[in-house]
Order: sequence, then C-alpha cells, then structure tokens
Amino acid sequence: MEKRKRFETAKIYVAYGFLLSLFGNGSVATALSITVTEFECVSEQVLHEGDTVSGNFVAIDHDIFWSSDHPGIDFTATAPGGSIVSSLKGTSGDKFKFKAQKSGIYKFCFRNPASTPETVSFYIHVGHIPNEHDLAKDEHMDPLNIKIAELREALEAITTEQKFLKARDARHRYTNVSTNKRVIYFTLAEYLVFAGASALQVLYIRNLFSKSVAYNRV
Amino acid sequence: MVGLRLLLAAVIAGFLLSTSESLRFELQSGHTKCIVEDVKNNAMTVGKYSVVNPNEGQPMPDSHKLTVRVTSHHGNNYHYSQLVESGQYAFVAAEEGDYMACFWAPDHKPQTTLTIEFDWKTGVAAKDWSNVAKKGTVDVMELELKKLFDTVTSIHEEMSYLRGREEEMQDLNRTTNSRMATLSLLSLFVCLGVAGMQLWHLKTFFEKKKLI
Repeated sequence: MEKRKRFETAKIYVAYGFLLSLFGNGSVATALSITVTEFECVSEQVLHEGDTVSGNFVAIDHDIFWSSDHPGIDFTATAPGGSIVSSLKGTSGDKFKFKAQKSGIYKFCFRNPASTPETVSFYIHVGHIPNEHDLAKDEHMDPLNIKIAELREALEAITTEQKFLKARDARHRYTNVSTNKRVIYFTLAEYLVFAGASALQVLYIRNLFSKSVAYNRV
Repeated sequence: MVGLRLLLAAVIAGFLLSTSESLRFELQSGHTKCIVEDVKNNAMTVGKYSVVNPNEGQPMPDSHKLTVRVTSHHGNNYHYSQLVESGQYAFVAAEEGDYMACFWAPDHKPQTTLTIEFDWKTGVAAKDWSNVAKKGTVDVMELELKKLFDTVTSIHEEMSYLRGREEEMQDLNRTTNSRMATLSLLSLFVCLGVAGMQLWHLKTFFEKKKLI
C-alpha cells in the first residue's frame, strides 16, 4: 500500500513517467507529477509542425480542509511565439488537446492561486503522423508507415487516458483515506466532548449545592 | 544481398531512431528540484540528464554544473554524481514505489537559471530496441510492430493494475461506510448512557443531601 505523503516545503517535487517511442515519427509521451507552490512550468519540444499535442492533468493532493472554496489549478500552454494555445482555469483536473501550428518548444505552466502547495500529476503526448508530403520526401517510407503511425497514435491515446484515470484514482484514494480517518477521529473526539461536557455539567450542579457557596436557600 | 539489406535496415532504423525529445525544466542556482517516478517492481529504468548550454558553440560556464542523487522510497541510494554537466543512470527497480531523482545547482553570485534536459524512461520505453534490431535481418516494419505489441501489453498490464486498485478502493469505501454506521449508532448509545449516568448521579447526590 503506497502512502503518498509529500511534505510541502520550498522544494518542488516532480514525478516522472516517460513513455518515449524512439521512432523518428516523434511521439513523445511524458507523465509527470509536480508540487506546485505558486507557479511551475515545463517545456516540451514539438519537432514537426502539425503535430497533435494532447494531455491531461489532475491535482492529486487537494489538501483542503473544508473542500468548497479551493479555486483549483490554472493551466496555460504557450506556443514558441508566445501566444497562448490552451488555457484552463480553476479546475482540479482536465484534458487538453491542440494542434501545433509551428514547431519549437512549447511551455506548459501551472499556477496555484491558493496558499497551500498542490501536487499536480500531468501527462503530455506529442503525436506525429507522417503525411503524403513526408512520404514523397523519403523514398524508403512505405504508405504502411502512415497506417502504423495512426495505430501508434491510437494506442498512445489509450495510454493517455489510462494515465489520467490512474491519476484520478490516486486522488480519489487520497480523499477516501482521508474520509476514513476523519470518521474515526471525529467520532472519537465527539464521544470525548460529550463525556467531558456532561461531567462539567454535573460538577457545576454539585458546586451549586455545596455548602461553601451561599446557595443554601435551595 | 543479406548484408546490404541489413545495412539498409540499419540506416533506416538509425534515421528513424535518431530523434528523441526530452523534457526541460529550469533550476535556479542554490535551489533543489526533485523528480519522483513511480516504478513497478523489476522494471528497467533509464535516466539521462544534461545541462543545456546557454551559449551555443562556446564552452559551458563553470557555474552550470549540477549534483544529482537518485534514491528509492525507502532511502536507498541508486545513483550519485557531483557537479557534472551531464550523465545517466540505469537500474532494475528492486523495490516498488516512488523513486526520487534530486537535482541541485550550486550557489552562484548573480543568480543563474539552469535549463536542464531530462529524460526518464521506465518499462517498455526503457527497452533497448537497437539490440533487438541487430539480431538477424529484422525488418524495420517488424520492429515497429514489435514495439506496438509491447505497448499493447503494457496497456493491458496497466488496466489490470487499475482494476486491482479500484477493488482496494471499493473495500476501503465499504469499511468506511460500515464504520460510519457503527460509530453513529454507538454515539447514540453513548449519548443515552451519559445522560442516564448524569441523572443517576444527580439523583443519588440529591438523595444524600436530603433534598429529594
């Protein structure tokens, strides 16, 4: 049973899982977990123009006590030119997908508006399918390669969804463990408070009737 | 003829395998960033890290070095290198759980920001495909299909893992549910019991005081 206890300090913990398919049809898959104190950015290189960048992120810790007023995590994806390609505000986890208009280094940033650090687990996949233009350039490339690339992209889509589900499962588990603990502790505390309040009541009434206090008229 | 075909396959494979992208992140001098990866038991894991040269063509400035340490969830050290510009590590995970790779950039007077290129592969992706390709006349297409097959197998394993986790969570929820029921019922009895005790105690107290 894994215990995910991340102690929030000034250090930033980044969790990785890589699925790198080495074929030059450049599909890169990255699974990552970051503890975002305020603002964290990761960069990913997109090799070919027209590649589809897809991914998702989930705020795992969500360590909030009253669970109603946490604003969530803001996410922005920025293209090499500086324009914002994708932006999600105030969510605890979501998917994103966009087509890269130009190749270069794309930046994916998370912002945590709340004061408590959050662990965000996310996954980015850059998928490339060679088209007829690439086919014409390289005479060794088979049209079958395109079909294989499409198949690979479909499998990567499944993997992306799996990573999302895994992260959501981790967060769900975190909530459930917390609920379990809360049930026990709060109930025990409730019993103690009960017994304590009742004892105080009895003591107070006894005190009212004690001879040292001048309530003897009772 | 076989030799030529092999050479062709190697060239194509080389061309196709030559590109690999990795993740970049920034590290300020004097700060630490830790990378945690969830590795399954007995899975092969490979990591490569390097500092990106801010000035292309010129030698890397001395301040751009980092210290790296890879530890397991229980604290066992798997890799340690001090003040290097690049490096790599590879091991088979003996323990299941979170493995942490921490990067530390030494202090520098004007605070510099290092861009680190990092690549951490586990499981399927960590497999050395160039070795598989060398065995005999393995077609490039066959290699691609082998990779897809491995990917599908890993998806299947991941599904089984998720199903197991979901079952654990169901058990946990069931326990929580029954606990809540039991404890609430118990709280009712505690309430009644305490009230009864109160009444009994006050009654005997007043009887002793001859007020009743």
